[in-house]
Amino acid sequence: MIALRIGLAALFLMIAVTVQTSVLTNIAVAGVTCDLTLIVVIALALSRGPEWGAIAGFAGGLMLDVVPPADHTAGRWALGLAIAGYVGGLIRRETSGSPVGPLGVALTVVLGTAISFFLYCATGSLLHDPTVDWSEFGVRLGIAAGYDVVGAIVVIPLVMWLMGRLKPARERRRVTP
Amino acid sequence: MLKDLGTPSTRSAFRSAGEAPLRSAGTPREVRRRRTVLLLVVLACFTLIVLDARRSAGSPVEPLREAAAGVFGPLESTATSARQPVDNLRDRFAEMDRLKAENEKLKKDNEDLTRELNTSDYARNRAQELDKLLKVAPAYTMTPARVIGIGGAQNFSHTVTIDAGTADGVRTDMTVLNGTGLVGRVVRVTQGTATVLLIGDRNSTVGGRLNATMALGFVSGRGDVAGTLDYKLVDPKARPKAGDRIVTWGSSGNAPYVPGVPIGVVTSVTPNQGALGSTATVKPFVDPTRIDTVGVVTGPPARPPRAQITGKGN
Repeated sequence: MIALRIGLAALFLMIAVTVQTSVLTNIAVAGVTCDLTLIVVIALALSRGPEWGAIAGFAGGLMLDVVPPADHTAGRWALGLAIAGYVGGLIRRETSGSPVGPLGVALTVVLGTAISFFLYCATGSLLHDPTVDWSEFGVRLGIAAGYDVVGAIVVIPLVMWLMGRLKPARERRRVTP
Repeated sequence: MLKDLGTPSTRSAFRSAGEAPLRSAGTPREVRRRRTVLLLVVLACFTLIVLDARRSAGSPVEPLREAAAGVFGPLESTATSARQPVDNLRDRFAEMDRLKAENEKLKKDNEDLTRELNTSDYARNRAQELDKLLKVAPAYTMTPARVIGIGGAQNFSHTVTIDAGTADGVRTDMTVLNGTGLVGRVVRVTQGTATVLLIGDRNSTVGGRLNATMALGFVSGRGDVAGTLDYKLVDPKARPKAGDRIVTWGSSGNAPYVPGVPIGVVTSVTPNQGALGSTATVKPFVDPTRIDTVGVVTGPPARPPRAQITGKGN
């Protein structure tokens, strides 16, 4: 059962990366595409917790780093998305009594976008990457956060519902007394 | 004693004592496991960054990139084909507005051109000279390719993926262009895909030659979405004028840039602050948001060998 969940999560991430680089670029706003991989990572973190969030963020970020046309040092998006996934999972723990409402999900997505983008630019500055432009940071972050929330409204309920269907038997027995 | 902290009895004991327990903590074992996982993941990320920091061809991450390109190349290609029908529909709606705007612009251009033609012969002669100059750039052997993936602006780098690779004769440092002008150069190749660095990227510098005066200079990208370029002439006293066209200067061995490919047109000139000379802003001929079919220059120009001229001594 656990292998099936891991396989499904990996499939989500692969689809997200492919769609993000091929299809979503057509509907980019001022060059900023919807970060579908981040949304899937936050969805996995919100449904399964911080460890899953960190590992899913690492896997998704690594795919974003090595899949063409990425041309930057590998590991930068992996770091950003892993931390964002971990924080998203912690937010789930905070409200583990009740499920996270739509406002909570939106705020988590904005926070995740900010964290991952900031870490990406920070590692870029550390590595003396000449393309990182801090003057554009605010504008691009604003557009990305807005666009990601719009994408999250569609994608996160779907992912969380699908992951919820595959709860292992013992957890399901605990819920129904 | 420590491991009893998580059990409900001690937690209620805390509460009755007036201290609130830590809200985000689970049992200490869970917290430890969480933090171990996070630490391992962050260490793995930093290891990757350090391994790949030099970004040279010998980086240990290269096999991973090639494997990813092998897997995701066909996926991206399929996704791009799948969205063609949606694109066509959307384009048809946008066509009306575009045609109206183009009509207005063409009317205005027509008036300007008629006026110019009537007023000077000099302009006509100059146009003929420019025409001859552009015909000098010979036709090259090219491999056609389609753009199947584009990097978003969050990456700060302007790269696209094309669906031609080593199997089609593409190597790194080959020029990529389309019918309107220069697109970029190939930086990474795998079996079936290649990554192209666009000229609008900040890391990109192309040698450029002004058509009007044959003066040499360097065209570098600014990293903005429209692909605007900066042009600095080698001769600090020369001043380009708005409307001048720039073609590639060419590199040794035709790698990475072949000569004679149009790059863009000068839109404005500003003198440099604190240095001699001036920098021109160049609008590229190729719109980086609308690249679809490109050609990769894979071979020398296709032209018949020239007969040698030998002088007859007297």
